[in-house]
Amino acid sequence: MSVTDLKDRHAAAADTVNNLRHRLKQKRLSLLDTDICEYAKSQGRAPVTFGPTDLVCCRTLQGHTGKVYSLDWTSEKSQIVSASQDGRLIVWNALTRQKIHAIKLPCAWVMTCAFSPTGQSVACGGLDSVCSIFNLNSPTDKDGNLPVSRMLSGHKGYVSSCQYVPDEDTHLITGSGDQTCVLWDITTGLKTSVFGGEFQSGHTADVLSISINGSNSRMFVSGSCDATARLWDTRVASRAVRTFHGHEGDVNAIKFFPDGNRFGTGSDDGTCRLFDIRTGHELQVYYRQHSDNDIPPVTSIAFSVSGRLLFAGYTNGDCYVWDTLLAKVVLDLGSLQDSHEDRISCLGLSADGSALCTGSWDTNLKIWAFGGHRRTT
Amino acid sequence: MSPAAHDAAQYSFAVEYDGPPLSFDLPRAVPISVDNIPVAAVVSQVPLSDALALPVVQPLLPPQLHHPLRTLGSEPRVSKLASETTVSPTSVIAFDHRASQSNVGELSGELSSSGAVLDDGKESVDFNELNQQDCASTESVLSLEYPSTRVSSLKAEDIDAKRPPVVTFDVDSDDDALNEEFDVEDTASRPVIKRAPLTKGKKGSCYRCFKGNRFTEKEVCLVCDAKYCGNCVLRAMGSMPEGRKCVTCIGFPIDECKRGSLGKCSRMLKRLLNELEVGQIMKAERFCDANQLPPECVCVNGQLLSYEELVTLQNCANPPKKLKPGNYWYDRASGLWGKEGQKPSKIISPHLNVGGPIQPDASNGNTQVFINGREITKVELRMLQLAGVPCAGNPHFWVNEDGSYREEGQRNTRGYIWGKAGTKLVCAFLSLPVPSKSSNSLGEQPSSLASRTIPDYLEHGIVQKLLLVGCSGSGTSTIFKQAKILYKSVPFSEDEHENIKLTIQSNVYAYLGILLEGRERYEDEILGNLRKRQSSVLDTAGTSSKLDDKTVYSIGPRLKAFSDWLLKTMVSGKLDAIFPAATREYAPLIEELWNDAAIKATYERRSELEMLPSVASYFLERAVKILRTDYEPSDLDILYAEGVTSSNGVACVEFSFPQSASEETIDTTDRHDLVRYQLIRVHARGLGENCKWLEMFEDVEMVIFCVSLSDYDQFSVDGNGCLTNKMILSRKFFETIVTHPTFEQMDFLLILNKFDLFEEKIEQVPLTKCEWFSDFQPIISRNRPNSNSNSINNNPSLGQLASHYIAVKFKRLYSSLTGRKLFVSPVKGLEPGSVDAALKYAKEILKWNEERPNFSLSEYSMYSTEASSFSH
Repeated sequence: MSVTDLKDRHAAAADTVNNLRHRLKQKRLSLLDTDICEYAKSQGRAPVTFGPTDLVCCRTLQGHTGKVYSLDWTSEKSQIVSASQDGRLIVWNALTRQKIHAIKLPCAWVMTCAFSPTGQSVACGGLDSVCSIFNLNSPTDKDGNLPVSRMLSGHKGYVSSCQYVPDEDTHLITGSGDQTCVLWDITTGLKTSVFGGEFQSGHTADVLSISINGSNSRMFVSGSCDATARLWDTRVASRAVRTFHGHEGDVNAIKFFPDGNRFGTGSDDGTCRLFDIRTGHELQVYYRQHSDNDIPPVTSIAFSVSGRLLFAGYTNGDCYVWDTLLAKVVLDLGSLQDSHEDRISCLGLSADGSALCTGSWDTNLKIWAFGGHRRTT
Repeated sequence: MSPAAHDAAQYSFAVEYDGPPLSFDLPRAVPISVDNIPVAAVVSQVPLSDALALPVVQPLLPPQLHHPLRTLGSEPRVSKLASETTVSPTSVIAFDHRASQSNVGELSGELSSSGAVLDDGKESVDFNELNQQDCASTESVLSLEYPSTRVSSLKAEDIDAKRPPVVTFDVDSDDDALNEEFDVEDTASRPVIKRAPLTKGKKGSCYRCFKGNRFTEKEVCLVCDAKYCGNCVLRAMGSMPEGRKCVTCIGFPIDECKRGSLGKCSRMLKRLLNELEVGQIMKAERFCDANQLPPECVCVNGQLLSYEELVTLQNCANPPKKLKPGNYWYDRASGLWGKEGQKPSKIISPHLNVGGPIQPDASNGNTQVFINGREITKVELRMLQLAGVPCAGNPHFWVNEDGSYREEGQRNTRGYIWGKAGTKLVCAFLSLPVPSKSSNSLGEQPSSLASRTIPDYLEHGIVQKLLLVGCSGSGTSTIFKQAKILYKSVPFSEDEHENIKLTIQSNVYAYLGILLEGRERYEDEILGNLRKRQSSVLDTAGTSSKLDDKTVYSIGPRLKAFSDWLLKTMVSGKLDAIFPAATREYAPLIEELWNDAAIKATYERRSELEMLPSVASYFLERAVKILRTDYEPSDLDILYAEGVTSSNGVACVEFSFPQSASEETIDTTDRHDLVRYQLIRVHARGLGENCKWLEMFEDVEMVIFCVSLSDYDQFSVDGNGCLTNKMILSRKFFETIVTHPTFEQMDFLLILNKFDLFEEKIEQVPLTKCEWFSDFQPIISRNRPNSNSNSINNNPSLGQLASHYIAVKFKRLYSSLTGRKLFVSPVKGLEPGSVDAALKYAKEILKWNEERPNFSLSEYSMYSTEASSFSH
């Protein structure tokens, strides 16, 4: 078989795939008899309304000297770990604003950080292609730096995202620029499984974000530069359970819905979307038209505990609070007093859902909490 | 025990007199008795002065100099000065505080309302309340303080009114006076106004609450010497933005005799504040501008220092410790340093451009023996004699920083002063300085900047980042390694060395594998041809001769087995896992393999093996040596090796350019030589238009883009699977990087790498092979022989012409994209000098950028003739 022959067949196959994909889309559309918004309205759901002082910035965590790239809350105590371009991880007490640890990193270009479920260790990763684990209880060396307790090396590209498997301090999933996700065993420092990469049905571009299902920790989703999100089962590394198309740009952020049956995504195309993992349907698109024609990409998203609110940070410094049912913007944190001065790069909700933390390129982290009186209607 | 009491003890009768009243604890008795003393004191100093020569001079000389400065205690002045100084700073500060307080109040109010929502609302509320309380208390203190200082100053006036001014002078600052007598006697004329404390209580009491006695623990203001007890210190000194100073003294230079205590925390402060706060205060105290040594107080070889000179002096490798104001002499050749009129106290870094020339009588010697033009002291002469230096006949010595000495006017070194172990002992005994280990025993050049420690407040901030990018194969890794070898004293740690060794070894196995694969292919080809011919022969002749399988490319069964096994492991991708470990076992086999004729024949045809990189031949030719277990990679091996710099992710190296000897003599104080540079090398992979992490590098000062010149005839598969010229790929990549929003205002330096390869190649392959360069028509006058001209412009080689042409191509592209000018430097990555020159060029560009406003346009264009010469 000659090369030209092969090329022809490849082109034909690609055509068929696109065709099938299109038909699938059509089919989905025809099956979509109602959308959430209509249904919610028909059920008499009133939109969520927030007054200007209902969500207020109650703490500003100052201490980083570089752009903040990532943050994570502990599952129990009100502690936050944040990673910044100044080459440091800082562990904060969110209530007192105190810095509990400041960890100097061997590689300053850090992109992600995560707290372990027990709060005993933190993980971070970045352009050095290594996920480093720091045990917060280990003694500092003579320069006062916390030593790296474990290096998870094996990625061939930057580590863009990492998250501990819930209820386990020993397993961690990373997403990387080498188009793969990896499940690691921290005790041995070895890969347990690799998702994507040379296998079929893996991502075809850099993985930017991952999120593990809170109610079934065997499932996780990943968002990638190939504009898709994929659902994975950690027991079946060979192929993705499902691939979710829909976005027209890189999927920068991905987060499971609290009930574990849906997940949200944020993308370079300026939209956030909600997907259902059981049906594979795209349930909702969250997009607000701007007056001028630039579309700020979504950098980071988070759901409230109930799932009614979706917080989304944008590159222009906006941070919208979306009503997930009615797809309306409830509030823009970027327009409030004491908002960030630069793009919001990361956000996260505390475990009990009482506070939202945002990290920004203006080097600060801010904690937002409900400041009004809850109306009981 | 306060120093005042200590000094008082020197007056023998005063002790007897002072004791009883204290036990009676009659506060009034002391001032009254003190009143009487001044008369007595002046008298009593005269008889004492018989023993001491200095005290006589002191009271006579100072009246003109000291009196106007020091007699702040006299009534009219104190009332005026004190009221002035108290009113302005405190009122302003108090106002500021109050303003900020109101702000805090607002904020905290908000906090409490919002904090309540958090789960731990209570905690946060508590916190806020505390905060507010604190605010309130400090506010009340501040508002109280203002009147109280007034009151107290009034009080002080009252007291002053009762007693003559001399008394206060004596009581409160006699320790200073004495200190100064010995420490700062020669800087009496310096124009620093000494501040006196605003208020004074009775001797030994706190200056603010007037409680306590001399035994209570107190903190002292660094400027005015006011002493405060634990209850008052925080109120009197506020937040201490410049360390332990009264609020009114902030901004004033510190009392020089307290320089020694800078940054040394007292127990009291530690008790009052938490560790972090104390640390911050101590840091502020040491490093804030107001507390730095004023340069005009230090005089070296009879010349007052300028600011730059002082910085040079303090930041040299071996600075004089605890520099105090005063007159010093400094012997530049040997680095000897001492107080004027005294023997040397220390050996500091030599050759510093500080102060004037040394005077013969700098150390006030009378031995008629000279070292570097300075008459040495008796002690030094004694040391020289003990060290075995012949000193007969009053010789004039010339001593270098390493201790080598020669007689003036002679060339040969006579010996080393500190060469013998005993000499150091003698020096210690005579309390003479010896050269410090770091500067001498290692034999380092004191000018080598790489090894010298820069104080951290200087180190912070001035790290200039250079981002090194380029397509794969453009030699970024080589340049990175070269920089490491050039500028780091230890380029690679032991671990790294070991890793490099393993990498090189497994690379060699991989090359061998490619070679063996090629051998198989060649063998098959030949056998195929043979068979074809044979079959055709068979057809015509009809005779079946036994096929002779032996070709040039056949190998023995043992090697064949090894080859099969090696190829199999290569295919399975486990080469890295198996190989370096199995080296011991296979090394002899490799030797045999390499010497095999078949492999040699294959190696001859290596150009046909596309997989084999060009560097492979370098390593294959050394394969036998490299695959030994005791192999140590040389610098060149490391430069050639692939995959040493982590191929994924980033690598960075921090360095500073070592000073060359010529630069050093011109300007040692040049700030740029202290600047550290960070060369960051990122891999091209994923550095596309939509790169998510290029934004992380927006703080770099310059992007160095690397292009391999020899790529113009090479092809590679691009993102869409098409075969594209590598030069075109580089251009595409260049375009995306240059137009990336992160690098909008960035300077770019284009490195045209592999110039050496290019020069060779251009003779064989025309540049027009790459479609971008299709209009390259070199005009070369072939009739003129090369040797005739020594200037490049007269008769440039084809390679030079072509590289200039490519440079212009890139420059035009760059200016069409950005409208700015591109800096270009042709480099041979394997030659240290060439890379060094390119990086120095980068440094110069950064320097120009800083100084650009200072240059007139014409000057600037003159400086950059090299860069602009190719932009037609």
